[in-house]
Amino acid sequence: MTEVLRIEGLSAGYGPLSVLHGVSLTVRAGERIGIIGLNGHGKSTLLRAIAGLTGWQSGSIKLNGVEIGGTRSQGPGRYTHRIVRMGLALMPQGDALFHGLTVADHLDSGAFTPRAWRERRQRRERVLAIFPQLGKLLSQPIGRLSGGERRMVSLGRGLMDDPKLLLIDEPSLGLAPKISKSLIEALMRIDLKDGAMVIAEQNLSLLDGKVSRLVGLHAGKLKGGSLAPDLPLGEYAHAHRR
Amino acid sequence: MDPYYLALTTVTLASIYGLLALGISIIWSSLGMINMAQGFTFALSGYGAWLVAHNISTNGFVVVAGGVLTGALAGALIGAVAFLPLYDKPNFALRSLIATLAMSLFGGQCLLWVFGPRVKALPKIFGYGNFHLGTAVASREKIGAIVCSTILLLITLAWIKSSRRGLEIRAMMQNPEGAALVGVGLRSTAMAVMIVTGAMAGLAAVLLSQTFFISPFAGTTPSVKGMVVALAGGLGSVAGALIAAVLMGFIEAITAVGLGGQYVLIMQFLFIIAVLLVRPRGIAGMIEHTRE
Repeated sequence: MTEVLRIEGLSAGYGPLSVLHGVSLTVRAGERIGIIGLNGHGKSTLLRAIAGLTGWQSGSIKLNGVEIGGTRSQGPGRYTHRIVRMGLALMPQGDALFHGLTVADHLDSGAFTPRAWRERRQRRERVLAIFPQLGKLLSQPIGRLSGGERRMVSLGRGLMDDPKLLLIDEPSLGLAPKISKSLIEALMRIDLKDGAMVIAEQNLSLLDGKVSRLVGLHAGKLKGGSLAPDLPLGEYAHAHRR
Repeated sequence: MDPYYLALTTVTLASIYGLLALGISIIWSSLGMINMAQGFTFALSGYGAWLVAHNISTNGFVVVAGGVLTGALAGALIGAVAFLPLYDKPNFALRSLIATLAMSLFGGQCLLWVFGPRVKALPKIFGYGNFHLGTAVASREKIGAIVCSTILLLITLAWIKSSRRGLEIRAMMQNPEGAALVGVGLRSTAMAVMIVTGAMAGLAAVLLSQTFFISPFAGTTPSVKGMVVALAGGLGSVAGALIAAVLMGFIEAITAVGLGGQYVLIMQFLFIIAVLLVRPRGIAGMIEHTRE
């Protein structure tokens, strides 16, 4: 199976603060990986480092075999758009939406290649098939939407241009349990084709049995799944507790 | 006091201030930069149009194109000097303010050095004479100014509303990180903004030079007025800037007719102080408030 993402010895942080310490992770095509960890242990930093949004980072990150990591000292976000154009979609915490723009504008903004922009209407339909609730809201400004609907917009925006690697940061954050559950189910319905999906989450039970592999992130280091890919959840939880 | 004359002058001034203010407003909200060099763009475009008129053709279309292109170039220059090297450094807002102010002063002195202190006049690109609309009489240059700036404003607004680049600019105004996450390159989008707003200032320069002369520091007063309009309208709001431009044009017209030209700036600044005292976020603050 082809590797969508290969991270080797990744350390990252903000200013004097080091959050990730030598993380290595490989994600293969077709995989859905759950990264489980408590608040403040580096889940978001890991995803943001892949997108080039951390203050500093060192180590190797390969997206479809192309090096996107390395030491970046040009400031966070400078290369993010290029990494996105190489097939990365990140749904960050807080959704990073554009206040005042409509739902349709948000979806269109995700169609950055000329081809996707021309086909934006058809592609919107594809996203609406995954999140049917958004159909009626297309012309609504984002401020009128509920938290769950906003998260769907943020996800749908990332799906408009055939991402190879989908990074989703805490999909359940701030949502009612029922809505989180249906959102996770929608995520499982997404057709990955030759891509992959990484979900960072602190609620273990939400991803239990749904993803292909669970990895623990504790104090900036990966535990469990990355070493033993098919560790069942019970064993993982056991190892994590120790 | 002739109400037709008043209305016409108001709309003429509003369309020119609107071009400048909208540029300042868009730059502020998408780049986070207060462009103090808009006046330099304005003056340089005037000279660009003058050079074109003297060396190539006095055809109105060519002169306008010369001014607009010079404005776009000046915008790109300001972007390359004051935005690209500074935007990811700490304290960007202040640094870029100082950088653009420095460019404005430096550029003004350069223009003085190259073209000398004598003022220049552009050819009357709209010709002489008047239009008669019923009982009202409108000079050609006023009608020309209104038509030209309305066309450019409409093109710009339509471009921002419906093109991919426009969507990228709107996205960047709201959330730069979110914009980067949908593949928007901050640097190239910023340069596009600088070029378009420079072109708008260039057109404003050609239009205003139909009534005023071109001089190295001719841009100072219009750009201060543009800044005032942008502030009164609420920085970042297109609708607010346009409403404020109409109000400022009206104040200028009625003050000039009723009290005399020397009171125009006083009345305009009193107006902005009053607006900002009542609504610190400008007129757009009022619009948004009523919408909620």
